[in-house]
Amino acid sequence: MGEIPEKHVGQAGSHEQRASSTAGLPDQVGNVARRTMEELAEDIVASQGKSKFSLGPLEKVYVFWLAGMSCDGCTVSVSGATEPALEDLLTGSIPGVPLVVLHHYVLQLESGDHYIQTLVNAEQGKLDGPYVLVYEGSIPDENLSAGGEPFAGEGSLPLWAGSTERRRVSTAEWMKRLGPGAAASIAIGTCATWGGIPAAYGNITGSMSLMDWMGKDYRSALGLPVINIPGCAPVGDNFTDAVQAILLFLQGLGPLPEFDELGRPAWQFSETVHTHCVRAGFYEEGTFAREYGDKECLVEIGCWGPVVQCNITEKGAIAHMGGCMNSGAPCIGCTMPGFPDKFSPFYKAPPGSLLSSNASRLLGSVVRNLRRISQRERNREIRWHDSVPSGWAMEKGGTSITHKILEVFYEALQFQGAKRPERDPQKKFPAGYRSLPERVYGDQDYQVLPEDRAKKAEKRA
Amino acid sequence: MCFKNLPVEFDAQGNAHLKGGVADPYAYQPREIKRDKLEELLARNGHIKDVSISPVTRVAGALSFHAVADLQERKFLDANSIATIFRGYEVILKGRDPRDAIYISSRACGVCGGVHSTAACEAIEMAFGISPPPLGTVLRNLALALDFLYDHPLHLFLLAGPDYSQVVVQATSPAMWEKAQVTEAPNAEVHQFKTIGDIMKGLNPLSGKLYLDGLKMTRTPREAYSVLFGKYPHPQTVVPGGMSSTVTITDFNETYTRLQKMIDWTKRMILLWDDLTEFFYEYNPEYKKVGARDANLIDLGMWDDEVSYDASYARCNEWGEARWATPGVVMNGELVTTKLQQINLGLEEFVEHSYYENWTQNGNQRFRTDPSGAPLSPNHPWNKETMPKPSKESWKDRYTWDTAPRWDRQVVEAGCYARIWTTAAAGLMPKNDFMEATGHSLKFHMPKTMLREMDFEWQIPAIWNAFERNRARAYCMGYNLMMAYTMVLKAFDYLRKGEDKVSTKFEVPMGERVGVGFWGAGRGYLSHHLVLDKGAIVNYQIVTPSTFNASPKDPFGNPGPYEEAVLNTPILEDFDKPSEFTGVDMLRAIRSFDPCMPCTTHIYGGEREIVREVNTCACSAEG
Repeated sequence: MGEIPEKHVGQAGSHEQRASSTAGLPDQVGNVARRTMEELAEDIVASQGKSKFSLGPLEKVYVFWLAGMSCDGCTVSVSGATEPALEDLLTGSIPGVPLVVLHHYVLQLESGDHYIQTLVNAEQGKLDGPYVLVYEGSIPDENLSAGGEPFAGEGSLPLWAGSTERRRVSTAEWMKRLGPGAAASIAIGTCATWGGIPAAYGNITGSMSLMDWMGKDYRSALGLPVINIPGCAPVGDNFTDAVQAILLFLQGLGPLPEFDELGRPAWQFSETVHTHCVRAGFYEEGTFAREYGDKECLVEIGCWGPVVQCNITEKGAIAHMGGCMNSGAPCIGCTMPGFPDKFSPFYKAPPGSLLSSNASRLLGSVVRNLRRISQRERNREIRWHDSVPSGWAMEKGGTSITHKILEVFYEALQFQGAKRPERDPQKKFPAGYRSLPERVYGDQDYQVLPEDRAKKAEKRA
Repeated sequence: MCFKNLPVEFDAQGNAHLKGGVADPYAYQPREIKRDKLEELLARNGHIKDVSISPVTRVAGALSFHAVADLQERKFLDANSIATIFRGYEVILKGRDPRDAIYISSRACGVCGGVHSTAACEAIEMAFGISPPPLGTVLRNLALALDFLYDHPLHLFLLAGPDYSQVVVQATSPAMWEKAQVTEAPNAEVHQFKTIGDIMKGLNPLSGKLYLDGLKMTRTPREAYSVLFGKYPHPQTVVPGGMSSTVTITDFNETYTRLQKMIDWTKRMILLWDDLTEFFYEYNPEYKKVGARDANLIDLGMWDDEVSYDASYARCNEWGEARWATPGVVMNGELVTTKLQQINLGLEEFVEHSYYENWTQNGNQRFRTDPSGAPLSPNHPWNKETMPKPSKESWKDRYTWDTAPRWDRQVVEAGCYARIWTTAAAGLMPKNDFMEATGHSLKFHMPKTMLREMDFEWQIPAIWNAFERNRARAYCMGYNLMMAYTMVLKAFDYLRKGEDKVSTKFEVPMGERVGVGFWGAGRGYLSHHLVLDKGAIVNYQIVTPSTFNASPKDPFGNPGPYEEAVLNTPILEDFDKPSEFTGVDMLRAIRSFDPCMPCTTHIYGGEREIVREVNTCACSAEG
């Protein structure tokens, strides 16, 4: 974890160290440390001395995080990521992974024009490394706001070069200005990937996804279409996982990260959330939750999991913990392009479940009962015959004749083509040798509980 | 008598009615903003500086700020708070199945994860006439206590914290940095930072221990939250009539161990913010004026008592006062009401300086009274019809996408500090082992962990400023933590009794229904106002804490809380030339509110098409 010896930071804090990248600006308004967060990050890295060997061609990558019609939920999710953790990326603490210089309005030290200047530098090609764009939130149609304040603005620029009058710049415009020069453009969260709630029926801002806005022909400087990491909010680790995978690939270390036909990381989104669901077994056996809080499959109280591509039940929500269905929340399809309108109204069973859950109920009622029979036998030690020495309950020792007959067939199948474990210790020794149980108990069945043995002996006597 | 300005009186039984003899009781004459003098000064004086910060970073969402600073007199002459995003959320909700409101309104803000879904849920419960079983309410309380345990550290150490870090203090006040390095921290024995300088180093972005630990500690409560409620933000376990969590012993154990970790850390951090605050006061008492305002605060309370809460409007005063955080309005430091109905009646929203048209002009008022028959203003959210009128930014006319909510036509601010204040002052907190509201303070006891057991007391402060907001937020971590702890014990208790039901069945009613969710966010006050008819949403309105705090000037000429706080802030940073001015004092004032813009500008767009006036925009120029 990237904890830096504090004495180095003290040196890093002195602002005379070198010229600031925003030195050209007329004043210091908003530049509260008189140096930007980027410079601070670099100072921290520099304080650790120059590395003797490098694991790849990239030393640092700028990441510009832009927000449109966003709720900041994606930012919040990513701040919770631990595989890798945000702070490890931002301090260049992962061997082989270049330093990620994040430019994010929620974390940035500086405000105002000093914050915006780095975006301007990027557009003018003045950065000393490649940059990646991350867009959170849907993109409004700023044609609807033409002539006035944009729906989603970030920073302001002179109206024309040298003008003292300024105009607020929309994040949609930033995207168009910076998009072509970006090494990659990543849409994070369902708003940016598919439009999400701001783009749902009834939206008056013309909101759309990043793909919709940049168009089918958009390619980044590395030739990539928009990369989509959906979810509302997305699993934070899905983002840092994808970023690290891409960076390690670019360094010539990691395998090629694959993306599906909608630009999603294939290893994260190619299966349905139901496949890895902790409740999928209940579905298989045809048992369903009747009310909220029940432990069974949630399909009949509004879960869309079987048709939704997401990995939260496997990956967890944070640090491999939680995940919607894991804790009892029905899936409302928040990673899907059809969200929310094609999953509404929430809490109502999806129509498809009428067929599928009844089919599994039918099959499940047979399978479930057969499984309980074999489960009952498997819940018994090999030495439990007449009684079970559990002080917890009146567990019956003997089993019914039907059970015994079924078990004979079951075992025959179980060991078909395989060796059944040898029960007689005598057969494990050379001929003529008497095993310990035989010496003590004779040729009586010794695989019984001590108290049963006493009873047996009594019976024989 | 809680209202000073509204034409509403209460009789001996506490029933509200309009004062007699007033023709148009809620009418008012908007006051013009005069800037001629200011512009003259700006044109003439070299030391009068037009300060425009776009964007203000280290806040959630899109905020810009404009101010006019007199760098010679070291004060601010004008301030404008600007919300720069508009999403039209509530128009998306209109005409939908009410069941969609919970998950759609949740997405108004992803900063505090489940507050909107819960507020929506309470509004729906009122409209549907249902309420959760006891364990359902207890789980909800637990979720919303864990929520803030992520939220407050995020603000204290990642958003506001860097403003008090070595890199910023050294750059804007070198002498203070010198002093800090040799000033011993009084509580060093507990928090382990020997000097104030060590604390400031700890707050350095990306490298300081407090910064990095703060980030990590935001994850611990989110882990517990995710285990019990699925994910963070936007949990899908909030359902009308309760929760849908399947509670297991393991879930509670995992939560319990995380609470234990947080108790240890919180003990340290509360005392650390005490030390930092006192250092600034001692270094220069002028810092007491940074972000200062009269203590005018509002809160709706939250964390229902599982026995009293029945979601009905008729009984809202009773179940409101039974809450673990007491609703209330504080005026000039005095608590004037703790009744939810009165807080609701006093609420009005104004749009004179926002990019919306006034909806009261056509004279159609949906509700003249609330469901209990008390008079309701045409400016109340239940009557609101917000009609966007995007226009050019003008400091005299309209300059933000935020509206101006007011209570009794006075400027009130919201925050977790308002919540702890109204709770402390009312002294109505339910009896329990760990917390006590005394009428002038909130005491809480934190059990032994790695550190010894400790008692804390948050005293209602005599002054109100940026430092007190942050200090109160640090104490709120302790309050919320012991709240979460109490709720875990309560949940255990219900499970021991075998009362493990967490939800109630419901059906969507077809008639006209009204509901309101009185709740709280990480930053305080949160209300959702809902009107249903024929099984669909007819009107949906959200008022959030930052709607209050980031609000522009109102028609009575009063600036919004951020604006007022900046106007009262002295310029204390060091600079030789005007071009070296950074605005750090003003940014400290703004950030102390913990601005959260996503939900401020959720705003409902009305039925009209958006019509733009075509003109060029000149952000810093006066229009």
